[in-house]
Amino acid sequence: MKQTNSIIEAKNIQRKFGSGNLITHVLKGIDVTVKTGEFVAIMGKSGAGKSTLMYQLSVLDEPSSGEIVIDGTDVIALNENQRTAFRLHTLGYVFQDYALVPDLSAEENVMLPLLMRGLSWKEAKQKARASIDAVDMKNKYRNLPSELSGGEQQRVAIARAIAGNPKILFADEPTANLDSISGATVVELITKLNKENGQTVVMVTHEREYATGCDRIIHMEDGLVTDIEQLH
Amino acid sequence: MRALRIGFLLGLRQVQRANLWTTFLIIFVMMLTFLNLIAVSGILVGLITGAERAVRAESLGDIIISERDDEDRILETETFLRELSSFPEIEAFSVRYDGGGTLEANYKERRDLKGERDSASVIVTGIDPLLEDQMSKLSKNIIEGSYLESDEEGFILVGSYYIKEYAIQFGDIFDTVETLHPGDTVRLTVGDTSKEFIVKGIIQSKVDEVSLNTYIPEREFRRLFDRADRNADQIVIRVKDIGSEDEVKATLLASGLGSLGKIQTFEEGKPKFITDIKNTFNILGTFIGSIGIVVASITIFIIIFINALSRRRQIGILKGIGIKRNAIEIAYVLQAAFYALIGSGLGALVTYGFLIGYFENNPIKFPFSDGILVAPVNETLIRFAVLFVITLIAGFLPAWLIVRKNTLNSILGRK
Repeated sequence: MKQTNSIIEAKNIQRKFGSGNLITHVLKGIDVTVKTGEFVAIMGKSGAGKSTLMYQLSVLDEPSSGEIVIDGTDVIALNENQRTAFRLHTLGYVFQDYALVPDLSAEENVMLPLLMRGLSWKEAKQKARASIDAVDMKNKYRNLPSELSGGEQQRVAIARAIAGNPKILFADEPTANLDSISGATVVELITKLNKENGQTVVMVTHEREYATGCDRIIHMEDGLVTDIEQLH
Repeated sequence: MRALRIGFLLGLRQVQRANLWTTFLIIFVMMLTFLNLIAVSGILVGLITGAERAVRAESLGDIIISERDDEDRILETETFLRELSSFPEIEAFSVRYDGGGTLEANYKERRDLKGERDSASVIVTGIDPLLEDQMSKLSKNIIEGSYLESDEEGFILVGSYYIKEYAIQFGDIFDTVETLHPGDTVRLTVGDTSKEFIVKGIIQSKVDEVSLNTYIPEREFRRLFDRADRNADQIVIRVKDIGSEDEVKATLLASGLGSLGKIQTFEEGKPKFITDIKNTFNILGTFIGSIGIVVASITIFIIIFINALSRRRQIGILKGIGIKRNAIEIAYVLQAAFYALIGSGLGALVTYGFLIGYFENNPIKFPFSDGILVAPVNETLIRFAVLFVITLIAGFLPAWLIVRKNTLNSILGRK
């Protein structure tokens, strides 16, 4: 593949599950390109394959076939440890259900990937607090996830995802478990990160209203891209 | 180092936030395992150590002098004893003359003269009652009657194992007379010579050498056994400072007494079977304790496995955000280490802070010894190290099994 200003280049991505006669083709050959600083939403009905596509692009899963190059790295060729390291240094994640470690405080949750990157305890703490401040969660550093509302937990999850300045932020239906107000706040926050900081974002959502701030919407159906909608 | 730091943070917080009762229960199990490992073998060994102590206190003393290999008795015993009296390191000593004879009881009441005599083959020890009592506190073992006076004659102390009513628990192991009580007259026959004695006391001890013995004053012994040379069979010594036996032995040897008799410390002269049984019981205790280790390791394995399994999704997410597998594994290993350390620490505290002292003051009354708890620190450390390492493995394995699963499958809860 040629080097472009695209940060993600995926070609002919296929993902099959099962074996023999019970093979299910969830992704049937998808080409996706995401440019640096772009905010892309993946939309589709339940079962369309949008989350599966995001797992391939975010190096959480390996496609059955196809090519994926992220930030110049052929991620298909990486082994398990290299994939973990790649995710740590290049990608940030926001999951549906926040996915915070329940035993750690908000601050410690954010510090985890920073410590893994090799920052000292003090540096990690400073950076974690700055990140938590950025998602407007001041004075909640020491709260356990169980002491935070769903929206607050998701904001901490965003703080964790962006604390290490990842090149790409992946968000898998970040509003799915939130009420409409909290959901709007979270999407607003992600949009702000993209607009103000130039953060590349790939977000899966099934609610159109949350995708209005995106640059592009990739529409999927039955494992295929059916439409690419350019918004900005 | 990074993995260790994160593992420590995750492990520490998991322990901190864990259910208090669950943590308490796990630590309690680990403490019991430690106690099982230390105390079971400790009591088994202590049972023999108790017997060994008793033999030392009531029979053999700290230093034992016996005949040289090329002699029948201790030469120039009188000279030997005079020398011993001049050593300030020696607290007490006793000279003993040994022989064998036949003790006959109830012969005055016997009507059927052709019938079997009420007699038993016995060991006879001639002693100076005062010296013997200073050395072995023999008088404390009197269970009926009283102890011998220094200047009296015609009295005998009979070990309880020679009397059927006391030895019945051992079946027919010992040669016994039917019954005997203080004030009864017995006949002691040595070769062709017989002498009547009045039973002054019955002696009973957990030391066989005491219970399976008869004691008469040394003067009478020498007459009965025709031992005019006054050379003794055994001299036993109690030193003033426990642990100074080697020095005292060296001093005795330096005085030339080694040419008159064989001088051995208790450790050198004690019966070999004591050491053999001790080692056997130690192995037995270790074996029983090992079963405890297996049970504890399975317990830890299950606890960590359930813990890791219930956090499988969380583990997947941690891997997803770039936390290395070994950091997550370390978190679980550290938890296992925490349980092992605290459990063993409490076990050690109970062992050294309470149990050893308790059994020292309240020994377990076994038929042949007063059992104590023996737990040498070096052996305890080795057993702890074994327990610790096995616990770490038991903590690591389930974590490894869960952590190695596919990251996305873990996140999505797929099989």
